[in-house]
Amino acid sequence: MRAHPAEFELLAPPTLPAVLSLLAHEPGEWLPIAGGTDVMVQYSAGKLAARKLVSIWNLPELRRIEISEDEIRIGAGCTYTDLREHELINREFSLLSTSASWTGGIANQNRGTIGGNIVNASPAADSLPALMLYDTDLLLASARGERRLPYANFHTNYRKTQLAADELIRAICLKRQFSGYYSHARKVGARNAQAIAKVCLAGLGRLASGVIDDLRLAVGSVAPIPMRLTETERIVKGNRIDPHLIQLAKTAAAAEVRPIDDIRSTSRYRAAVVGNLVAEFLEQLSARNAQSERISQVLARWNALQPDKAAEEILPCCGSKAWAIGMAARRPLLDESALVAACDEVWKGLTESDWLEAFRSHPRIGDSHSPAAAQPQSAAWSGEEQRKVGSAGEDIKLALAEGNRAYEQKFNRIFIVCATGKSAPQILEILRRRLQNDEKTELREAAEQQRQIAHLRLRKWLSS
Amino acid sequence: MSQPLLQSAKCEISLTVNGKLETLHVYPMERLLDVLRHDLGLTGTKEGCGEGECGSCSVLIDGMLVNSCLIPALQVNAATIVTIEGLATDGRLQLLQQSFLDCGGAQCGICTPGMILASFHLLKKKPQPTLEEIREGLSGNLCRCTGYMQIFEAVEQAARRGAST
Amino acid sequence: MKHAPIVGTSVPRMEGRAKVTGEARYVDDMVLPGMLHGATVRSRIPRGKIKKLTLGLGIDWSEFVIVTPSDIPGKNCIALIEDDQPCLADGLVNHPEEPILLLAHPDRHLLPKAVEAVTVEYEPLPAVFSMEESETSQQIVWGADNIFKTYLIEKGDVDTVWQSADHIVEAEYTTGAQEQLYIENNGMIAAFDLQQGLTVWGSLQCPYYIHKALMKLCNLPADRVRVVQMETGGAFGGKEEYPSMIAAHAALLAMKSGKPVKIIYDRMEDMAATTKRHPSRTRHRTAVSRDGRILAGEIDFTIDGGAYKTLSPVVLSRGAIHAGGAYYWPSIRIRAKAVATNMPPHGAFRGFGAPQSLFALERHMDRIAQVVGLSPVEIRRRNFLKPGQTTTTGQTVNEEIDLCKLLDRALELSDYHAKKERFARDNQQSSHKKGMGIAAFLHGAGFTGSGERFLGSVVGVEAIADGSLRILVSSTEFGQGTNTVLCQIVAEALGLRYEDVSIAQPDTHEVPNSGPTVASRTVMVVGKLVQSSAVGIRKTLTASGMLSDSYTPEEFRAACRNYLAKHGKIRSLAQYEQPEGIFWDDEKYRGEAYAAFAWAVYIAEVTTDLTTYSVTVNDFVALQEIGKVLHPVLAKGQIIGGVAQGIGFALYEKVIWENGRMQNGQMTNYIMPTSADLPPIRVYFEELGNVHGAYGAKGIGELPMDGPAPAIVNAIEDALQISFRSIPLLPEDIFAALSESATLETVASTSRGRE
Repeated sequence: MRAHPAEFELLAPPTLPAVLSLLAHEPGEWLPIAGGTDVMVQYSAGKLAARKLVSIWNLPELRRIEISEDEIRIGAGCTYTDLREHELINREFSLLSTSASWTGGIANQNRGTIGGNIVNASPAADSLPALMLYDTDLLLASARGERRLPYANFHTNYRKTQLAADELIRAICLKRQFSGYYSHARKVGARNAQAIAKVCLAGLGRLASGVIDDLRLAVGSVAPIPMRLTETERIVKGNRIDPHLIQLAKTAAAAEVRPIDDIRSTSRYRAAVVGNLVAEFLEQLSARNAQSERISQVLARWNALQPDKAAEEILPCCGSKAWAIGMAARRPLLDESALVAACDEVWKGLTESDWLEAFRSHPRIGDSHSPAAAQPQSAAWSGEEQRKVGSAGEDIKLALAEGNRAYEQKFNRIFIVCATGKSAPQILEILRRRLQNDEKTELREAAEQQRQIAHLRLRKWLSS
Repeated sequence: MSQPLLQSAKCEISLTVNGKLETLHVYPMERLLDVLRHDLGLTGTKEGCGEGECGSCSVLIDGMLVNSCLIPALQVNAATIVTIEGLATDGRLQLLQQSFLDCGGAQCGICTPGMILASFHLLKKKPQPTLEEIREGLSGNLCRCTGYMQIFEAVEQAARRGAST
Repeated sequence: MKHAPIVGTSVPRMEGRAKVTGEARYVDDMVLPGMLHGATVRSRIPRGKIKKLTLGLGIDWSEFVIVTPSDIPGKNCIALIEDDQPCLADGLVNHPEEPILLLAHPDRHLLPKAVEAVTVEYEPLPAVFSMEESETSQQIVWGADNIFKTYLIEKGDVDTVWQSADHIVEAEYTTGAQEQLYIENNGMIAAFDLQQGLTVWGSLQCPYYIHKALMKLCNLPADRVRVVQMETGGAFGGKEEYPSMIAAHAALLAMKSGKPVKIIYDRMEDMAATTKRHPSRTRHRTAVSRDGRILAGEIDFTIDGGAYKTLSPVVLSRGAIHAGGAYYWPSIRIRAKAVATNMPPHGAFRGFGAPQSLFALERHMDRIAQVVGLSPVEIRRRNFLKPGQTTTTGQTVNEEIDLCKLLDRALELSDYHAKKERFARDNQQSSHKKGMGIAAFLHGAGFTGSGERFLGSVVGVEAIADGSLRILVSSTEFGQGTNTVLCQIVAEALGLRYEDVSIAQPDTHEVPNSGPTVASRTVMVVGKLVQSSAVGIRKTLTASGMLSDSYTPEEFRAACRNYLAKHGKIRSLAQYEQPEGIFWDDEKYRGEAYAAFAWAVYIAEVTTDLTTYSVTVNDFVALQEIGKVLHPVLAKGQIIGGVAQGIGFALYEKVIWENGRMQNGQMTNYIMPTSADLPPIRVYFEELGNVHGAYGAKGIGELPMDGPAPAIVNAIEDALQISFRSIPLLPEDIFAALSESATLETVASTSRGRE
């Protein structure tokens, strides 16, 4: 700790007007500190120039989230955790909740604020590209009053913003007009958590009749300020997504950015990765659009079936009749997320005997034959899910068979595990661990696995 | 006496630490980590990096996991703080401490207080976390000794035991 | 004497309760009355003469304790192998961050500014920053020729083989510096008074190394220097030799001021100023027969020792001896060299030279396989050491280790063949290229050659008032399980319960010198001594008639209490004696290098994402033969932790140097893996026993460091068909290699399907 606390003043006025009054009184003298996840790091390193600080942590006026019909107003003092946990932000502004999950670990997310992220104005800030895309406006407050500013113009240069010396960001305003867009966010850092971005990309896209109707791309860490790839957007708009367009966009994006070599990465790497991320976004946009059209068709057809036929068709996904009936009753289900949400809702209402019925539709792990009770589709899916187990070595297969026997002896039903993607040795380890569970715990674990299997199978069904 | 450039005044803060009300006279910019360790003698909370990266200084403020090396003292006035020393009173949390012992979750022990608090915070939010959720929940706590796996096992075991009580 | 087995079971960690409740006391948790805080003024240049030192304005220097080289009572050096490293630079600095001046003050907050206020004027001298520069000898920065040490290991007749070899395979491999990154920074407290002498408490691995260094520095006799180990928050070798330096600093300040002094580094200082793993360069030239058998080889192994000798000769030794790995070399010549540069001295880090030379070798084996046209599996099968064959130093493998079988088991556990086949198919259409990689290796436990004999470790076991036993060793606990395992051994040896045994805090006033806690020797060597020492207690008791041949733990304790009542003390010491049949020639560097080798095969599965060029390890199998598993949970923990550090060594942990100074000395910028980064690490053990180790155990602390990096880089080559020969291997490096080759064009046109 390289700073002397005695040399620093910190005041904590209880209201926003009191804070603004202080800032007006001595503009530029008082540094606002909210969660402290940037300011305190500089302070500890002995690098904080400011000597007078004013705390804006947890001021109620700054921590509200207000929703109106066409706008959401997020208080600048909202933390990353606040953003991650807010239902509407997750649903309509997922780029923001996703980027909030990238920043630091849970402890820092509980303290870091969106306002702090903006004002600190690091070119590598995770959340700023998302804000660029959502047509964000900032509400800036001072003792002189309030003004509203498009966020797009807020950053003027490296760590320089339009914030006046006596101003605070009070709230960020996002227009609720992005539900029809596909969102895509990717952060590239040195590791999967607690990494400063080498590159981060936020993307929004909308297709109409197979053609790009709107495409928005913003990138961090490749210029002194977060940037919109306006050139790349221009090239892409109005076109169908095909390999040629993707290559054009990739090259344009890599050329449009202005990254540097620094302690974390190289400019050539950053430029290339931006190009790759844009290409990846376009490919996913195209694929998801195609998939959603397919899913709409499957769901439209299923939604129109008689209830008993609808239940029959969906039964192989789970094996429980009560579940299938419950799903059919929740129609119409319009998209994948609604389907999965319905699955979980119905799942909550199932009884123990419903779960057991579901379990009975599966073959043992390692067995090539499904039980007679299973339908052909269910059996086919079981075969796919257990693919890795089928190719395991003899002694592992033997160990699995033995484990299955021990499990059945103890629990009186077969061992259920979501096998997809798991190797035989991994499944064996899970089996051995769960053999030690008591009945209550084990039933819950098995039910949870069955729920995961149902999700997987629902998705397969949608793509069939 | 050496005169610093600006002599700030100490302030009085009142806060509850591990269930006990404490009134302290500290500089407002004293780090909470230092207040805990030096003013209150609660040395269970550790300093590993001073930049909010390693999580060894993790404590709970009003039930929320934070890095105490990044918190100025004035901001915890009227707050309720739980450190590792305050965990053992709650019956359920002895589970986590016991699980860390059973599964080898603590080797050198320096990250352990923060790691246990982060695990506690995770289990409060997600009583039956998946492995992915455990990885994410603990990603702000660095451990150099264990390679994390036995820590995950400890959290899973505590979750299982907690569920069946 | 029937009792439940203790060795082989996962008893509770001896000091575990204190660790999970926050009660464990690390050095920064301790406060002494009247204590001052200390800080170090350090060099800002890599090399030069100190012309002038000025105490700047704005500080009341009269309040500070100031220590310069002239305050050093004894010799201004940190005694180790040689006395070349000064405690405080005296007129000359040889690396950035070299200590020049010490300050102390009651208020720790005043120190950073005071340190900044000391101005040093230098006359800079040209500095050397790489092994290559050092080797040109254009600037001599150490000794006569910049060379700390060389070794030559020769076997057979290398020179005659080249002509007749079907293949000659040559390549060069490099590894970078690696920071130990223990989560607890270095720290010491020192106190001095004229009666008691000097006492230091700290975070450390080797109390007697510090003891020896302080005697020389402070000109004090052995019984007036006392070193006490506090709970230590990770070490990994980083607290083997460096603590002597910080202890010396605290001691000098304490002696000058007459007050206790605490010095705790913050992370930036610890990273920039203390030791790191030696960077290395290995050049292989190998003669191979048509059917893939190694005929002979020349290995040039060079490490960068930094500015002073410290432990470089020993790191070099281990690296050189391990350079041939787990294979049979009919003939070999290994030239090893440690050179000086103007970086802070490099030092011990888990593996101690072996991770460096084994990285090169295991990469080289894959290269040989390619040249000869065999698989990485087959090339190893054909060259593995077999029982009865000799190693590169001529040591006969005299245990029934079957490396082919070990390899087979690892291949099965990792599903190697099926995955390789599947990946080869799937990679063609995917932007996520997957690969499998193997590393097969060995690690010698204990000090090399005659090292254990020179150490002559002594251990003790005594009874205490309640009749229980207490172990007396200078071997330290820093997470790896010293306390737990040694207590298990004593309990097992005497048929007692685990709770009947405890272990004394390492304190040079209280415990004998059982040698440093390094070289994977504690369980194996010290454990075996502790076992015999414990038996000595029983012998004394039975000889005295106080204990019958068959007894319960309670009866044993009663007998101890009786003995104490009658004689006042019961203590048994045991000293290391070199076993028969262990011969080592220090001149020729031949013979039995280690009392025991542990053997391992590690297999990594990786995915390289060509969108971001980053590598993810998806699955990792760590299979090893380790003699005997004394404590399953602890043993597994050692392997997983070591593999995690090995993954960091390979993919994440880069030290960025500029003019000899580490630029990325923060946790934010020096990247170690978080919980979100590591794969499931699956650990499996085999047990062949070991006559030289307690209950058949071999040392395992360092073994897991050797395998991950080469296994991973081998896997990356499998995935990308590009050979990387340098670690750490970052996405930027992969990108650079891909964009250099025409492969980039192919990648662009590959359809980027998702599975």
